[in-house]
Amino acid sequence: MTKLVRLLPRISMQAFLMVSVCITIFPFVWVAMMGTHSRSEIYSSPPPFYFGTRLLENYEKLLEVMPFWTVLGNSLLVSVLGTIVTVLFCSMCAFGFFAYEFRGKNIVFGVMVASMMVPPVLTLIPFFLTVKFLGILDTHFALWFPTSANAMGIFLIRQYMVTSVSRDLLDAAKVDGASDLRIYWSVVLPLIKPVLATLAIIVFIALWNNFLTPLIVISSPEKYVLTLALRSLQSVANTPWGAVMLGTFMSMIPLLLAFLFFSKQMMAGLTAGAVKG
Amino acid sequence: MAGVELRNLRKSFGKVEVLKGLDLKVEDGEFVALVGPSGCGKSTLLRILAGLEEETAGDVLIGGEVVNDLSPRERNIAMVFQSYALYPHMTVAENMGFNLKISSKPKAEIKARVQETAEILDLVHLLDRKPSQLSGGQRQRVAMGRALVRNPDVFLFDEPLSNLDAKLRVQMREEIKRLHHKVRTTKIYVTHDQIEAMTLADRVVILDRGIIQQVGTPTELYRNPANAFVAGFIGSPAMNFLPGMLQSDSDTARIELEDGSVLTAPRKPNHPRDGKVLLGLRPEHIMLGEGTGTSNALTGRIDLIEPTGAQNHLRIKLGGQSTTVVDNNLTEVELGQNVAVHVDPDKIHIFEAGNTA
Ligand SMILES: Nc1ncnc2c1ncn2[C@@H]1O[C@H](COP(=O)(O)OP(=O)(O)O)[C@@H](O)[C@H]1O
Ligand SMILES: [Mg+2]
Repeated sequence: MTKLVRLLPRISMQAFLMVSVCITIFPFVWVAMMGTHSRSEIYSSPPPFYFGTRLLENYEKLLEVMPFWTVLGNSLLVSVLGTIVTVLFCSMCAFGFFAYEFRGKNIVFGVMVASMMVPPVLTLIPFFLTVKFLGILDTHFALWFPTSANAMGIFLIRQYMVTSVSRDLLDAAKVDGASDLRIYWSVVLPLIKPVLATLAIIVFIALWNNFLTPLIVISSPEKYVLTLALRSLQSVANTPWGAVMLGTFMSMIPLLLAFLFFSKQMMAGLTAGAVKG
Repeated sequence: MAGVELRNLRKSFGKVEVLKGLDLKVEDGEFVALVGPSGCGKSTLLRILAGLEEETAGDVLIGGEVVNDLSPRERNIAMVFQSYALYPHMTVAENMGFNLKISSKPKAEIKARVQETAEILDLVHLLDRKPSQLSGGQRQRVAMGRALVRNPDVFLFDEPLSNLDAKLRVQMREEIKRLHHKVRTTKIYVTHDQIEAMTLADRVVILDRGIIQQVGTPTELYRNPANAFVAGFIGSPAMNFLPGMLQSDSDTARIELEDGSVLTAPRKPNHPRDGKVLLGLRPEHIMLGEGTGTSNALTGRIDLIEPTGAQNHLRIKLGGQSTTVVDNNLTEVELGQNVAVHVDPDKIHIFEAGNTA
């Protein structure tokens, strides 16, 4: 009895976590299930909450209504390239703010941080006009490059550098004869891996899930990315919901993989500042 | 190997002048300690020497050449930081070999030199560890190894022992001294601990408020301090200062203390003019007992007795001031007792009033 009372807080805590997990993964499971049913089964009442038998049919249908693998390839290209370049540019820029003293540094940094407050929707039309002016409409380049040096990433990385790279270390490297590029590459980058992983996954998810930018930039169907392609199916009369659900589910898999891969470093990166103060 | 020279070196941060015109010559192979209280500009001076900070005016010469415009890389100096500043993600061997790797030395040579240095510093069994797996003393040795392996012209140390506990500090001090006998490179060693400076260095530079107060061998500084600041800074326990009035003729100086007692000393050329002065008496030069005919006799009441084993530290009220006295003879005395003390006239220091540590 007393034992039960003692364990009660823990049990209730775990019950709470369990319920939260169920709520979180329910949409994923639901989408996965819908991907195995035909359109009429999905619309039956009550809807079928179990795995069906139409997986292959849905898959064939999916390939029929859209070049799924090409589109997936486009999404991967944009997201992977964008992630790598963003992490590189943001860390370089953060290093500049961290390691050098220059006139107006605080003002530039302040303006940059302030720009994070501007709602992204507001910048949509200027963004479109800029992209059009640059002549990169309807290219994948316009999807990942313009955001590759972004305020959030620079801010995140610089704050991490401040807490985890000591100035003496930079001085020691200078005395050791390292050039600025060398210090960045051999001393600073290895020490900020956790925050690089954090930024990488945030950027990857953002690029992967981005719908608005492709919508206004991309017009040729063979350049569609997943979000755009899956959305475009829904305008067809008699939307093949089974196929759409299957495609949606398949499009989540890379994200899950990326998260599994990076989650440990990412948690370290997100909590490091909090722990070290 | 190379000597180092400063010519009228100045440094300001904004409006604050930290170094106010330093002139100093360090000979090739010499071990010079730079001491001064915290915040007096020691680290700033060292960083200017290393090329990490730019001087506001004046010249820095290494090996006879002006290096003002050279980067740290081009100066061939090595520096040991107070925080050690080891690269956390590299092993001990990689830390030590980083400079050589940057200079594109062949792998085999790097390995051999790191190995050789590790043997000197007894680090061989630690070469594959990361800094986080080392104790404070070991990190300190790695930091020295990283400097040593490069074979630099000049070594700079910025309070390298201040993060160690007292016992380890003494041990590392000895190691540094032994190292200097093996590797006779010019060394400039910054510390706020006068004992460290005195025990290690060939010459000691005393810095205060951005000005060099005195340069000399440890013995010179102890025997003939140039001013009250140096006198108070060097020696432990610190020198006693008693205000008094000086009256001197051609060969004797006569000082009257606040309580009316009088001391005499031979007149020296560096004594200040007659009037208000500070009398400096080292605790170890005040002897208990009446003394002989020539010495100065005083009496005072014992306020405090601190036995340290080999010596007793006494606080005695002399000339109206509470004064520290070191008694090496462990004389039996009691609190509150009035005792006679005497001072050898040669051991009396006289300074201008109002300029103590
Ligand atoms: N980068 C800097 N900007 C402004 N003031 C500084 C800077 N570095 C040092 N100072 C000031 O210079 C003085 C000397 O500092 P420092 O050389 O570190 O002293 P020490 O090493 O002798 O303790 C201090 O008063 C400090 O506040
Ligand atoms: Mg300092």
